[in-house]
Amino acid sequence: MSSDKPAFKYPLSWRILDHAENVAALWPRRWSPLTGYLLLLPALLLVFVLVIGLVYIFDYSLHELDLATYRLKDAFSLVNYHVALKSATYRTVVLRSLGASFIVTAITTVLAFPYAYVMVRARSSGTRKFLLISLFLPFFIGQVVRAYGWLIILGKEGLLNTLLASLGLPPIKLIYNYPAVVLGLVQYMLPFAVLLIAPAITAIGEEIELASESLGANWVKTFRHVVIPLAKPGLVGSAVVVFTLTLTDFAMPEILGGGTTDFIANSIYDGFFQLSNPGLGSALSMILVTLGSVFVTVLFSLAGTGTLVSRENVR
Amino acid sequence: MTGSRSKTAVLWSVVWFNLITLSLPTIIILGASFTSGNIVQFPPDGFSLKWYGKLWLLEDFKAAFLRTVYVSVICTLISIPSGTLAAIALARYRIRFRTALQVYLLLPFTIPLVVSGLGMMIIFGEIRILGQLWPVGVALCVINLPFMIWAVSATVNALDPDLENAAANCGAPPLQAFLTVTLPAVMPGVITGALLMFILAFNEFLVSLFLTDARIVTLPVSIYNSIRSVITPDLAAVSVVYIVIAFVAVWLLDRLVGLELFLRSK
Repeated sequence: MSSDKPAFKYPLSWRILDHAENVAALWPRRWSPLTGYLLLLPALLLVFVLVIGLVYIFDYSLHELDLATYRLKDAFSLVNYHVALKSATYRTVVLRSLGASFIVTAITTVLAFPYAYVMVRARSSGTRKFLLISLFLPFFIGQVVRAYGWLIILGKEGLLNTLLASLGLPPIKLIYNYPAVVLGLVQYMLPFAVLLIAPAITAIGEEIELASESLGANWVKTFRHVVIPLAKPGLVGSAVVVFTLTLTDFAMPEILGGGTTDFIANSIYDGFFQLSNPGLGSALSMILVTLGSVFVTVLFSLAGTGTLVSRENVR
Repeated sequence: MTGSRSKTAVLWSVVWFNLITLSLPTIIILGASFTSGNIVQFPPDGFSLKWYGKLWLLEDFKAAFLRTVYVSVICTLISIPSGTLAAIALARYRIRFRTALQVYLLLPFTIPLVVSGLGMMIIFGEIRILGQLWPVGVALCVINLPFMIWAVSATVNALDPDLENAAANCGAPPLQAFLTVTLPAVMPGVITGALLMFILAFNEFLVSLFLTDARIVTLPVSIYNSIRSVITPDLAAVSVVYIVIAFVAVWLLDRLVGLELFLRSK
């Protein structure tokens, strides 16, 4: 009754998989409607850290700083909001941040749209790749390093002032002012904007443009009446991202503004670490969160959610 | 591109303006790092690699660099399973309140970074892990997680559910179908996401500023601290590390999934 053939050996990977399958089978079949939630759980828990943090900050914002002990008092009060909303300094800071957000969004959109269009419609794949690489390189270099680059260019003895001096012109102050911060922010936002606009342009068939032009519209008219309206979802998405990122930015105003052009985030930082008043810093944080949410809600209700909220069909 | 010569001229002049704006800081930093002088100035004093040589002698820099790698690896390792599973769950499973959960998972983008950073600083302080390095990695994962979910979602949505049905039909138990059909199909998304998570964590500044102190400072924060004191060419050489890593990341991304992926319409 002996067999010459060696017994068939299960490969190790099969055995491991079988064991894993047995472990997976411990999850009872009737719980299977919950499987999706189980898979979501780690991500939900990670993001929950931010929710707890927000609750803490909201709580801090409702307690006044006791100047005797430098701790927050136990009693609830709205003093921090009162201070933040009444102070002329903070009003300037809020208006400056909002103003910069509008300016940066406008400039970035105007610059990013042609870039995205040329990139998507480029005939040669070499051109397209060159434009993509030029976009991704700065995208992968953080704000601090890029701001440092601008400091070398715009600084008192930087590239531009040296050029001016060699032409016999007096140096001009190019950093630590509003335009420098706007320039730094526009450069930072360009890759975000282009990458959000480009898919919307891809979705527009080139034959639609050809049709428009064959009916006698020149390219400006085609852009105005065909391409830009069709690209609206991408433009809305890009505007939302650029606006909120600018509104909440810290590094550019800090490094290129040099304390002269503080945004809300810089004031929050100062509230916590210079004034040692977490209550006031938290109240400013809540104001920033509110401002951002209000803007996003208003834009979404005016223009639709764009490409940011996907509505994929599920089986 | 269709159209007239004026269209080409106008669009390309904007594109060239963008290209210069985008690349100028990088080029200038590269140039400044090769100076042989002791200060950053124009024209540079001459060409030398001495600042790169000095880089190896800067213990602070080396330590900050290693710490940054450490937190970026932690961030990436946490984000791969949590982000991949979340994206698959959202696309493949029956989930109630899907839209609400999607909005919830976008909270890291909608809550301002400065607020997220301070919130986590407070929490980490409360549970007494502030001042350690690994929580910084977790924090960086939290704030960038939507990138991971987005990258994987794109590939899950492109995957025909009938492939998974076919596997099940051929007798594959759920886990086997998942491991041999779903997972390989979404791999390009996982790779894109993991690369983005690593590079964003490597560059993250503001949240690290709140969560690190002088003992565990990461590279972006240490560059920021040096900018505030005095600008020397060794800082340019340190920054070149970032430029090199960005080049490697772009090359990898192009080789692994192709940059054209980002132009596709949904």
